[in-house]
Amino acid sequence: MMRGIHQNFDQQQAPAFFARGPSPLARLTFFTALSLALMATDSRLQYLANVRENLMTLLHPLQVIANAPLQLYQNTDEYFSTHHYLLAENTRLKKQALMQGIALQRLNLLNLENANLRSMLDAKQSLTETSTLAEIIHVGRDSFTKKIIVNRGKNHHVVTGAAAVDAKGVVGQVTRTYPASSEVTLITDKSLAIPVQIERNGLRAIAFGHGRDNTLDLPYLPANVDIKRGDKLVTSGIDGVYPAGLAVATVIEVKTTQDSPFAHIICAPTGGVENDRQVLLVSIPKIELATAIEALNSEKAMPTTTAEPATTNNAALVNPSTQTTQAPKPAKPLSAQKPLANVESRPHAQQ
Amino acid sequence: MRNNKLRSIYFSLFAAFICILFPWSGIALTLRPDFMLLVLLFWLLRAPNQCSVGTAWFMGLWVDLATGGIFGQYALAYTITTFFAVIYQRRLVLFSSTQQLVYVFSLLLLSQLILLVLKAFAGHDFSGWSYFLPSVTGILLWQIAVTLGLNTGRHSHGN
Repeated sequence: MMRGIHQNFDQQQAPAFFARGPSPLARLTFFTALSLALMATDSRLQYLANVRENLMTLLHPLQVIANAPLQLYQNTDEYFSTHHYLLAENTRLKKQALMQGIALQRLNLLNLENANLRSMLDAKQSLTETSTLAEIIHVGRDSFTKKIIVNRGKNHHVVTGAAAVDAKGVVGQVTRTYPASSEVTLITDKSLAIPVQIERNGLRAIAFGHGRDNTLDLPYLPANVDIKRGDKLVTSGIDGVYPAGLAVATVIEVKTTQDSPFAHIICAPTGGVENDRQVLLVSIPKIELATAIEALNSEKAMPTTTAEPATTNNAALVNPSTQTTQAPKPAKPLSAQKPLANVESRPHAQQ
Repeated sequence: MRNNKLRSIYFSLFAAFICILFPWSGIALTLRPDFMLLVLLFWLLRAPNQCSVGTAWFMGLWVDLATGGIFGQYALAYTITTFFAVIYQRRLVLFSSTQQLVYVFSLLLLSQLILLVLKAFAGHDFSGWSYFLPSVTGILLWQIAVTLGLNTGRHSHGN
């Protein structure tokens, strides 16, 4: 009764219909300006990194909750997996273990030999890289950027710039670290570049993510470059980010057109970029990085001694002309010039 | 009553956010409707006094955070989209359900278009027409909800 009267009174005095605070246009202007300011700050300045980190910490429990149903499903699925399937997997794993055992024996030998050679050359000992196994919490929901979030972060000593690797090859690079999770940008993302080497002939190049089709591009290579379909790309290790020799991609198409001095080379990533559950985060210790750069500088006798991985990236690309005999000379200066600007504009190269 | 409604608004927005956080992948990811925008539009039509452009902006920020993109992209898209929902809200509640459906569909498309423009500025390419599929699944979800008896504010004069 009282409430009814009150409501009537309320409606007469100031109908809720009209009482709406500031006009929608005013709100639109205000919030649009705010969004634009935020975008500008976030993309050009680094002020918001801390804010993002703190908010992500808040968000982490929610991500775990949202991930729970799938986790539960997978766990039950595993529990009820058939005898037959387990047997098949067991045989496969045994075979794999045998193969890897043989490779490991050779590795021990090679390590020993490497240590000997290094001591003979009086070079600094390279340290073994540290690695953390991380599980993917979720894949990015943005169809434009290829990013995944994994469940290891600063608390587990993951550093920005660490390489993400799976059993088959390189998957991506850690671009942001939060306390309990970190963001990995996949190698197929448009903003990620990775220095590679053709396994067959040692030709060095930089592979850029294509951004859309889950492929990588090898831009700025001359039209008659010695790259064939089926060639394997491995990391060159010059950037100081990825350990050398990891499989990255396989060339699936080489196209040359009349109107372009460059070959159009498309590669498919070797690692399970889209279908993994776990990745290994590998970070190279600083000492080895310094050694690598030192070696590179002395080898090239470059006057500038900068210890930035970005510059090593450039060096890696400039280098092929001196390294490969097959590569033609005329197109080179152009190909060496262009990526310089390009690599620097890529966000990851600044790290 | 008012408190109750506020609580259900917060709860539904939270639920939509969890839906976005689900580990979507593959085809489900390309088809995933924008749950957050759908819930926001629903409340804008149903309770324009409790849910406004500001709410949309705030929730947009959280979506930005979850997607790992640049701060403010979703916030801006939601702000502009909900603005168009708000200025036509009084007419919208009088519309027939078909008209309302068309209008909501165009709003969903608008938000995707704004995001596309923002992404284009950031140097990304248009990824083909399948980019707009979430709007289609979104409007289907809306229609299913209406068919199941969800009142999208058509006869409740916005209290």
